[in-house]
Formats: sequence, C-alpha cells, structure tokens
Amino acid sequence: MRHLDDYLDKLTNLPPAPRVLPELLDLLSQDNVDSDRVVKVIAYDPGLTASVLQLCNSAYFGLATPAEDLLEAVTRLGFNQVYQLVAALVGSKAMGPPQLGYGIDKGELWKHSVASAVAAQCIAEAQGENQAVVYTAALLHDIGKIVLSDALVHSYAQLIEETERNQQALVDTEKKLLGVDHAEIGGRLLARWRFPAKLVDAVTHHHAPQGAGQHGQLAAYTYLGNMLAHFVGYGYGHLPFALRGRSEAMEMLGLSKDALPQFMIATFEKIDLIDALFGVAR
Amino acid sequence: MASPSLSQLGFEHRVIVGIADLAVSNNPSVTLATYSLGSCLGVTIYDPVIRAGGLLHIMLPDSSIDPVKATKQPGMFVDTGVAALFRAAYQLGAEKMRMRIAVTGGAQIMDNSGYFNIGRRNYEALMGLFQKHGLRVAAEQVGGLVNRTVYFNLRTGEVRLKVSGQPAETQLLCGI
Repeated sequence: MRHLDDYLDKLTNLPPAPRVLPELLDLLSQDNVDSDRVVKVIAYDPGLTASVLQLCNSAYFGLATPAEDLLEAVTRLGFNQVYQLVAALVGSKAMGPPQLGYGIDKGELWKHSVASAVAAQCIAEAQGENQAVVYTAALLHDIGKIVLSDALVHSYAQLIEETERNQQALVDTEKKLLGVDHAEIGGRLLARWRFPAKLVDAVTHHHAPQGAGQHGQLAAYTYLGNMLAHFVGYGYGHLPFALRGRSEAMEMLGLSKDALPQFMIATFEKIDLIDALFGVAR
Repeated sequence: MASPSLSQLGFEHRVIVGIADLAVSNNPSVTLATYSLGSCLGVTIYDPVIRAGGLLHIMLPDSSIDPVKATKQPGMFVDTGVAALFRAAYQLGAEKMRMRIAVTGGAQIMDNSGYFNIGRRNYEALMGLFQKHGLRVAAEQVGGLVNRTVYFNLRTGEVRLKVSGQPAETQLLCGI
C-alpha cells in the first residue's frame, strides 16, 4: 500500500480536509439530533456558514422569506437539504478545477460528481436507504482523480490508447500503467480525512462493488450513481464509456433489469437540482 | 421546440436541443445542436428540397417504460420521439420519401449482463422502427465508448460531430 501513500504524499496542492462532512455524517447517523448541534459543526467555518445561508436563500432552494441565520435555515429546509448544500460547497472546492491529466475541463468533474450524487440519491430514496450517506459517497467517488491527474499529464494519451486497443475499463488501464487506480487512491484520501469506513470502502470499490465486503451495498449505490450520470449525459473524458457492467450491483440492491431506465428518468427529473448544485462551484 | 417563426430572423444562430427533447426548423440560418450524447441517440431528419429538418435527443428505447412521461416528453423514447419528430417536420412541409436520416450516439459500456445495454437497446429499437416504416438511414456513427455532440446545419443539411477525445474540430458525418 506504500505506493498509494506515495502519490498522496507527493501532492502539494491537496485541498484541505473537509472535516465538517464526517462530523455531520456522524450526527446524521444518530436519531433525534438537535438542529443546534448541526449548526455548531457548520459554524466552525464562517465562510462556509455564509455560503450555505446564501444558497438556502437562492433561487432554486429559495425560501419564500429569507432565513436570517443557519439555525432557521436548518429548521425550515430540513437537515438533509442543508447537508446536501454543505457537501456540495465542500466538494466543489476539490473537484471544480480542471484535471488536465484526465482531459477534464473546468467544472466537468464537478458536474459529473453532482449528477452521480443526485442519481444515487434517487435510488436510495426509492430503496428507503440513508440518502445523505449515499449522496456523499457518490459525490466523492472520483476524488482520487484530483490526486492522479498530475501523474497522468504525460501519459493520458497512452492510457486512452491502451484502453481502446484492449477494450478494457479505464480504471484497469490506470492500475496497469500507474500501479494504482483513482478509486483506491480516493478511498485512501477519504480515510486520511477521517471519513467513516463505509464511505472509504464505497469509494474504493465504486467500479467493482462486490469487493467492498460489508459495505457492498453502499458501493453498489455509488457504482450505479456513476453509471446513471454517464447514461444521462454527464460523462467526461475521452472514453467515458470505458466502464465494466457489474450486474451484481443491481442484484445487491435487489433491483430488476427494468429498474435502470426508471432511475434514468428519475435523474432526468432532477436536472434542475443538478444544475443548482453544480452552480455552487461558481 | 424551435418554432418555424424563427425563419424571420436572418442571423446565424444555434438552437440547443436538450436531452429527451426535439426541435425542427426551416430557417437556413439555424444550426440545431445537442450536447453530450452518451447512450442516448441523436436523430436528424432533413428534407433537402424544402430545406427543413429536425433533431431529436432520445434517452430510452420504448415508451412502455413510462407511458405517462411519454405524453409529456415524447422525445424521451424512440417510438414516441421519432413519431413527434416526423410529425413536426411534416408541419413544415417536409415529405417522408425525401427525408435524409442520420443517427449518432448510442455509446455502450462493456457489459455482458444485459443490465447496462441502454445504448445498444436504443439503437436496436430505432432500427426496428425505421424498418417497420420503410425508412433508410443515410449516415450513422453509433456505439463505442465515446460521447458525441451533434451540429445540424439547416442551410446545407450537414451533420457534424464532435467526438470526445478527438481533435477540437468537428467531423463531417453527412451533407445533402
């Protein structure tokens, strides 16, 4: 595993650890949490607090009369909605910039991430699963790409060429060329940032969810969110469909063959939400 | 949907067709465009005699998946989308037997399970429908692992593509 840490240690421009997310997720997992405690965690970061409040009062999420402070926003919009915004604000800092090593223009990775998160959340909603956790895993699933992008600046052409020639998944070519892939490095990054093990495992195994053991279901949501984002047109990079079909992801969640088109429509219905969350990066 | 009244406008402009939507025009200054076709299909039809045509961005193979949705958003499905596209073009005076059809998109991930073959199913449904109605496809670029953006020039009938990972210039799929 030293190789993974090498990549992380070499990186000088890593975004700061988004401490607020693991703490909020921890609160979310408890029953009957006071809004006060939620607000206190967010309020550690005054800049974040101001941005969240601004968004709560913005056109899409807009309250009829503006909320005066965060506590009021949490009370009126609900914890889940506020969490969604906090996670988007935090995530966009890391994933908004271009990642040239992957042929990713400014905002492309972020748009894909948001679309994946919203898509995965659609499935979670239908399945009665914890939406915030699923949303977070899918939102951060490609965060390893910000680490590997530098390493790929000079070998992306080779990555693409070999992927196409061998007709293999991009993630497999990555592993062959670099010794690591973006999924496992993303998982390692989240572990360093003290995210719960289930999120680490879901991100690590988001291309092959059966490897995630007891957290297989969360990995399956993440896998399917990523897939749906591609299907609905939020892919990026040179070979966006160099992905492997994993029917076990559907089976692990007890989903039938017909379910995927239904979730494509559900995701399509949320294009406005995807656009609004994408917009927080501006 | 782009309205024919746009023909009053003289300047060159682009009309964007969103996912699950369609537009027709007989304004030679218009280029119809749709972005980022993955497993979705882009269908263009063009009557070169009257220089009218349309572009459709299909998401799914069959309206039986969600008949209610299909009435509100016919462009989402192959069957209802193609019907709506032709109907709109006929209203501009286009004729079926003169129509030149081009098909793009339908990217397909590597999947043997049949769970994730939306791109292939879209394409097969479209070809089945065309065959049933005696329609021939003049040009196509479908499948593969790429995303495609389509530009359809109503003046020339040219369909140009921008394919992910390929040079920034668009490539010509077909002209009149």
